[in-house]
Amino acid sequence: MSFLSGLFGGSQPEPQEPSASAELFGSTTFRSNVTPSSDPSSSTSSVPQPSSAAPVTPAPTALDTFGTAFDPARLHPLAGLGDKIDFLQLDEEKLNDIQGAASVLPSRGWTDDLCVGTGTTYLSGLVLGGTWGLREGATRPLGNNPSFKLRLNSILNGCTRRGSFMGNSLGVLAIFYNLANSSFDAIRGKHDAGNAMAAAALSGAIYKSTAGVRPALVGAGLMTAAAGSWSAFKAYV
Amino acid sequence: MSHGDHSRDPCPYVILNDFGGAFSMGAIGGGIWHGIKGARNSPRGERFVGSMSAIKARAPVLGGNFGVWGGLFSTFDCAVKGYRQKEDPWNAIISGFLTGGSLALRAGPRSAFGSAVGCGILLGVFEGVGVLMNRMFAQPIPQMQLPEQAAAPSAPAVSSA
Repeated sequence: MSFLSGLFGGSQPEPQEPSASAELFGSTTFRSNVTPSSDPSSSTSSVPQPSSAAPVTPAPTALDTFGTAFDPARLHPLAGLGDKIDFLQLDEEKLNDIQGAASVLPSRGWTDDLCVGTGTTYLSGLVLGGTWGLREGATRPLGNNPSFKLRLNSILNGCTRRGSFMGNSLGVLAIFYNLANSSFDAIRGKHDAGNAMAAAALSGAIYKSTAGVRPALVGAGLMTAAAGSWSAFKAYV
Repeated sequence: MSHGDHSRDPCPYVILNDFGGAFSMGAIGGGIWHGIKGARNSPRGERFVGSMSAIKARAPVLGGNFGVWGGLFSTFDCAVKGYRQKEDPWNAIISGFLTGGSLALRAGPRSAFGSAVGCGILLGVFEGVGVLMNRMFAQPIPQMQLPEQAAAPSAPAVSSA
């Protein structure tokens, strides 16, 4: 136990027997670790010798000084502020807590689901259609010995035609699907494969609704199958 | 688009979000717009059919235009942010410039540059208005209360007895 720590009132009990001089100085807020046997001169004198105490005790560390005198919890800037902190609006960022609806990205509700789902589908449609258009444009016959500029134009035309067609179709389908899916989730309070398949059937039917009853049913069936296999794939992975 | 907004996803993922958001906005808004327009332009008795066919023909295209614009903008925004390591209105202006330029690239470099400058100016106006609004409606930052003075160390007289 260091000198300073004893001075500031350490709570640990002194391991060694208090000497006669220590008893004497204890009342004067001083403490010396000298024992009468080691230094007889100090035990007889009533005034402590600083030179005798200094070499014996180790150098006081900051931990010894502040460990007992200050409570770190009270030094924290937010200590004692209570729950009246109102400059963080945490309600805005609550994550979607519908059971079973967790996906790859954290979602903050149905708008996030709609945006991310539609964006992913639209982008995949764009890439898929772009590849289709690229192949089409690259293999289209352009007469004999077409120039590079002509070929490039053909490829770009194919990409922009097929890419936007696939992207737009899949994107609209994804909007229907995500809206229906979020509505079903909200109504039923949970998310499962049945919800996904019902939403898929509804969106397929709406997408093909202007072509007649039969195509609408076919579209609903195709979408249901796709959603079912996707759910099975997700459960399997 | 808005800066320092932590309710949005971190950068690579926000592109998907923006793509989808812009596409949905364009498609749904286009559905309403062209639905009304198609109904008004159809003869009496054919209004519903005309409205439907107008929606089918035009709403996805509008959604696609919106989506490509928004997604490209978001992609450029992320790239510019990653390159500059800064968040300020210049990000949006630079990415608006690049978006406008790349969308008009097929019409030739001259036209692309004009479109890029136009988009950059548009985004600059948006950002300027945003900054002004921010300044106008900004709430004063609540003064943080200092913690109470730590209580004086109670130093009882040492008595190990």
